[in-house]
Amino acid sequence: MQAPRASAADLELVERLRAHDEAAFIELVEKLTPSMQRVARMFVPSDAVAGEVVQDAWLGVLQGLDGYEGRASLRTWIFRILVNIAKTRGQREARSVPFATLAGDDLEEPAFDPAAFDHSGGWSSLPFDWRGMPDERVTGRETLAVIGRAIEALPPMQAEVIRLRDVLGWTSDEVRNALDLTDTNQRVLLHRARAKVRAAVEEHLRSVNT
Amino acid sequence: MSRDLVCREVVELLNGYLDQALPADVLAAVEAHLAGCDGCTMVLEEFRQTIAMTGMLTEDQVTPSQRETLLAAFRGWSLA
Repeated sequence: MQAPRASAADLELVERLRAHDEAAFIELVEKLTPSMQRVARMFVPSDAVAGEVVQDAWLGVLQGLDGYEGRASLRTWIFRILVNIAKTRGQREARSVPFATLAGDDLEEPAFDPAAFDHSGGWSSLPFDWRGMPDERVTGRETLAVIGRAIEALPPMQAEVIRLRDVLGWTSDEVRNALDLTDTNQRVLLHRARAKVRAAVEEHLRSVNT
Repeated sequence: MSRDLVCREVVELLNGYLDQALPADVLAAVEAHLAGCDGCTMVLEEFRQTIAMTGMLTEDQVTPSQRETLLAAFRGWSLA
């Protein structure tokens, strides 16, 4: 698997960390720790253990800094350390969660309801068309809250993939490397997550469109 | 892919399309379908808009206690 390489900003941040720059460390911790905590929690039985995994991962990062050569982006490299520790810890706690559970529904199944299509595969009932609605209505706070709740309701791995991709703006390569997913699984998980979030937005906008 | 795609298949490919991850023959079939299908074009637009709105969400904050713990770990490492 080819990983996305480090950016100039990554290399600069690493130099600061190697020089024991506390501000650089805090900057990185604030950016990455919330997602690291959630990802760790997928593999271990409690928030407390996930917190320990995150702490071990950061220590691993600091201890491994001298070996970081920039072949992967900094956040990808950090997440690989995290996921390795989390998986090992999950096994030790006899709680390795099967991938299928983390991924959620049957990934072979279509993400769209087959009932929306006729026997020839064309639309039998079109989704709600919100394009005519005023922008402030569509992209208002209420819709954003609907999206946030829809993401929270997703199976853990789908939720994390859409957060990293669409909330935080990571590339698909970074996400599959960071979470140790195949290219196909990354794509399927993202598609399923986006399909459910789009459906939640559709339902919400249909209900407020008077 | 020599045959035409139907709507039920195209909607499952739209995120691959948005990610520019489709093989050339599938991409051509999806584009040909979209050119003649308002329903699928609408869903594509709705995906685009949903993704843009998802990007407006904010990430959780690190908890103060976790921040303190990690800072202490950093200082310990710095002194080592």
